[in-house]
Amino acid sequence: MNHRASQIVLATAIIAALALLAGEATTPLLYTAANTSTAAHVDPATVPKQTGRDADALIPLMGDLLSQTGTLTLNIKLKDYESAERDLARYAELSGRFDRLVINLDVSGTDIGEFQRNNRENLAALAALLNDTRRLEDLQRIEIDIQDDEGQRTTVIYEGETLQQKLQGGVTTYAGRENATIQIADRYGVNTTPYRESVRNYVEITGAVEAGGEKSPPSPLGIAVAPDTGRYGDTFSIAGTYAGGSPGTPIEIYVDSRIAGNATLDENGAYTSIYRIDRIPAGLHLAYAVAGAIYSGVTPFSVRQDDTAITLTLGEGEVCTGSLMTAGGRPVTLAPVLLRVDGSTPIETRTDENGTYRASLALPAGEHAIRAEFNAAGYPLNASESPTETIVVRNEGLSPLPFIAAIAAALGSGWYLRRRNRPEEKAPAAEPEESRETEATITPPQADIAGLSPREAATVLFWALRSRLGLPDTNTPRDCARLIPAHAGFFERYEQIRYAGETPSEEELRAMKEEALGGEERAA
Amino acid sequence: MQREAWAVLLILFLAGAVVYAHATTTTEEYSRYNPGWNGTSNLPAEEIRDLADLDPSTILLILAPDQPFSPDEVGSLRAFLDAGGRLLIADEEGNANPLLADLGSSMRVRPGNLSSLNRDHVNPGLFTVSVVGNDTLFAGVETARVNRPAAVEGGEPLLETSPFTWDDADGDGRISGSETFGTAVVCAREGNLTVLGDASLFVNAMFAENPKFIENLQPIRVDGIHSRTGTKSPIINTLVWIRTTPPAGAAIVALGVLPVAWIFGRKRDE
Repeated sequence: MNHRASQIVLATAIIAALALLAGEATTPLLYTAANTSTAAHVDPATVPKQTGRDADALIPLMGDLLSQTGTLTLNIKLKDYESAERDLARYAELSGRFDRLVINLDVSGTDIGEFQRNNRENLAALAALLNDTRRLEDLQRIEIDIQDDEGQRTTVIYEGETLQQKLQGGVTTYAGRENATIQIADRYGVNTTPYRESVRNYVEITGAVEAGGEKSPPSPLGIAVAPDTGRYGDTFSIAGTYAGGSPGTPIEIYVDSRIAGNATLDENGAYTSIYRIDRIPAGLHLAYAVAGAIYSGVTPFSVRQDDTAITLTLGEGEVCTGSLMTAGGRPVTLAPVLLRVDGSTPIETRTDENGTYRASLALPAGEHAIRAEFNAAGYPLNASESPTETIVVRNEGLSPLPFIAAIAAALGSGWYLRRRNRPEEKAPAAEPEESRETEATITPPQADIAGLSPREAATVLFWALRSRLGLPDTNTPRDCARLIPAHAGFFERYEQIRYAGETPSEEELRAMKEEALGGEERAA
Repeated sequence: MQREAWAVLLILFLAGAVVYAHATTTTEEYSRYNPGWNGTSNLPAEEIRDLADLDPSTILLILAPDQPFSPDEVGSLRAFLDAGGRLLIADEEGNANPLLADLGSSMRVRPGNLSSLNRDHVNPGLFTVSVVGNDTLFAGVETARVNRPAAVEGGEPLLETSPFTWDDADGDGRISGSETFGTAVVCAREGNLTVLGDASLFVNAMFAENPKFIENLQPIRVDGIHSRTGTKSPIINTLVWIRTTPPAGAAIVALGVLPVAWIFGRKRDE
């Protein structure tokens, strides 16, 4: 194989190799090995690290939460409401941290998830306990101040009775969670003494309230809830009459101390409000009505737990869609949905009025497993999750950089190889500086040697002869002598002048000029 | 041309080196000839192939055993233990259970798919366990990172998982279905006999995870007969046989030297 052919093969091989590398440049297996594993073990160096999943914090947090209930109820019992406010704020903050941890660790479906749900309800119950006891104390103070005003006094007594009934209902549900919560806590060695104390404190507080309250005649504002039991999405009718109330009187309906609806007294002194079961925990709840300063009695109703089903569909452009329905086929509206990517990263979205959700994800290239989850915290619903779906995210086209680099490398290689082919054209080390500079300014092929030094003149004559013989500029004197043996004497002499530093005589120059300009051939 | 000849020689040399490296290494799990992540080429341990005369001053490691022990070998191990030697069996497949029974131990390896929340890697099988017993093997070690271990039943616990550990029977990487959280023991001891439910602690990729534990093991010897530290590669086994059999080594040297001597002798005659 000749030299040029081998260079072409080499250059082709280089370009092919670069092209192949460029094709893999965005996802090079060599240095992006991921999750390398066998049945016995995984390679830790290839397993991604994770953050925000501090499982070590779970048990201490559970302990802190239970401990907080004891302190909080003790402060309420001692009527130290300022400290109780601080305790409640701290309890809410710890509960928030625990909720996030449960989601990040993906343990909603475990006993830890059950502990979280119980804790959420405990937080709500203790917040209500603090508000209601404080309000009751205020009412007792007001009642003393308005001893002489029978009308106002009756109003205060009605409100006080309502609060007492609420507290009685609250203690039942709070104590009802005790066994399940303690059982879970014991499993993880968490100290449950403060929580047990909190239940005792709760009972004591409500007992003291009941003992201290004053009985009054039945409230003129009546209330009834029908039906008395329902599930998510069901509606209750909350209705009643107000003896002595004038038509158009606004009525506020409260469920668990939160305003749940409004109604207006009609001409018959009756009111009706519709209450839909939405985000409210399963169990016993309390409803009462307020007309100005008049409070109705408290009436209970219960909400039953229901199952849910969530679906997940992966569409083009990494779009996730799905629906969240109850077992009875009712859509779960405006509910939080978690999209868990690759078992770790949770991305939150929300269902719409039809119980459907849609989320666009921005995922890196590769295969991803996605699952939709409904946590159900705060709902009378059981948690659910969709089957895991897989999505393959492709690269967004190849980066032009590897191709530009490959082309630049190929051009650079070509330039280098071309320069390598004429090494003799480079100035020799022995060449005087002024001679090289002069050569650079000479434009071949001219045979005008007037005024040039003998060695420069010889160079001009060499160029002239090489040009006249049609030899390429890349040919050295030795190449020329090999190719045109008839002028070998000229070229060999020039080689001595050029590289051995010899100086030609005037006679030699004349002969060389004649040969360069073709005098011999012309004469012949 | 001469330059091209040198280039060809260099390429041949490099290709030869690559072929040699390929032929004398393997990717088999736990193999001493596997320099990859799942090999044990970097395990600083001497391999022994005879259990008859064991030195009780060193620890004997049986790593991921896959060969049965004969009554004589069990007798040798029992004598080793009686003499005060320390035997460490690292197994996560349950293959060591017959040996444990023969040695009169109540400890057993219970294979499974232990997973835990106590981890800083995404993979639930790569997690942290706590040192709970007082043992020289774990001196100065508070926690260890294990790699898809098996539970060890019986004996005095030395390494214990957190309560947030479960047997991921369905392999979905999360606690689901009937799976429940609970603590598991992954290393236990009975006298001088220690059972570690994770042979992966000795693969090259895990050295950096538990350096102090590896350091505490020294001096250690590996049972090369029953452990999976060997190889099925005939080339490697032949080379090992030549290295460990002096007559074979001498024969190979002779095969190399004699032809050269013969050629030189012929040239001198000419």
